[in-house]
Amino acid sequence: MEALEPLIYAGELSPVRDRMIAELEDIDTLCLTYRSRIYRYALLSLRDPDLADSVTQDCFLKAYRARDEFRGDCSIATWLTRIATNLIRDSTRSRKFQFWKTANTTAVEAGAVADRLRSPGISPESALVVREELVKVWDSVAALPGKQRSVFLLRFVEEMELPEIASAMGLHVGTVKSHLHRALAAVRKAMERSKAMERKR
Amino acid sequence: MKTYHLSAWEQEEYVLNRGTDLQNPQLLRHLADCTACRAEVARLEHGVATFRSAAVEWSSECLATRPQQLQSFPLRRLPITAMRWAFAAVVPLALLLLALLPLHLFHLSSPSVTHPVAQISDDALLEQVDEQVSVAVPSSMESLTHLVSTESSSGPAGAAPGSKHIVQTN
Repeated sequence: MEALEPLIYAGELSPVRDRMIAELEDIDTLCLTYRSRIYRYALLSLRDPDLADSVTQDCFLKAYRARDEFRGDCSIATWLTRIATNLIRDSTRSRKFQFWKTANTTAVEAGAVADRLRSPGISPESALVVREELVKVWDSVAALPGKQRSVFLLRFVEEMELPEIASAMGLHVGTVKSHLHRALAAVRKAMERSKAMERKR
Repeated sequence: MKTYHLSAWEQEEYVLNRGTDLQNPQLLRHLADCTACRAEVARLEHGVATFRSAAVEWSSECLATRPQQLQSFPLRRLPITAMRWAFAAVVPLALLLLALLPLHLFHLSSPSVTHPVAQISDDALLEQVDEQVSVAVPSSMESLTHLVSTESSSGPAGAAPGSKHIVQTN
């Protein structure tokens, strides 16, 4: 009876996998469905719209080329996120990226993003507090180590489940949780700094 | 009466497990009762939610300004690979054609040279045939012409009258 279990499992998995591979075959639909998600993840990880676009295109190209290797053991979104994570890691290791990272400051970017944030229904004073808090949080996320930042983005921006993140990042769920705790602690500290500045006024 | 509040780790645990079935029931019970902890958790969640809103908005704006390469991207990128294969296939074929071209040209020009020769050789052959035909004794019977008939002169003494005696000379 034990020998039958994998066969039953494979039989159940196969139609799902076939459907997923059929989805991967249609590259246009695939891009339409997942482009914004992958681009957002790349953009927030790299903070460079051009590089994020390049990574997004490479991600879909790689996924299309490797579609036969897709085993169907996770969702397509998770699989694409895994490819994107590897591409982002490769990009951040490049010398060109390191140069621009040191040349740029995230303060201007954080301020610009915070300025665009709509805060309907709150007073100008409260909006200013929210803006300053956002700048602090934004900078603290930018300053996180690579894996912590990726895990934070996947959990709190892409709203992925912990096992999905673990699969996408190639980590254990416990490690993902550990990274998330550290990232949240950094965010909390940033928010406390913002609160302290507010009190001083 | 409550004698403790949630630690920072417990608050983070609640935030990162929000929306899942991994929530600790004790944490949920405490948050239901403790206003201070509920406010702390709400503040942390608000900070994360504000970050998410800003991130999504910034990403949408950036994506909107990107050229719509979505449709053309596979068509643009994939043929490069296909063209490499096509190039790899066409180049040897072209080289082969170039190598065969002189032979083809030679073959095209050769009939004008060989035609008179063939005509001459045909004429010579016909003449040879005529000569062979006009010969009294065919070549296949030529060996027989060397045979000497002894019917009239030097036949053996014991030969019967009227019989032919053939002597081979060679």
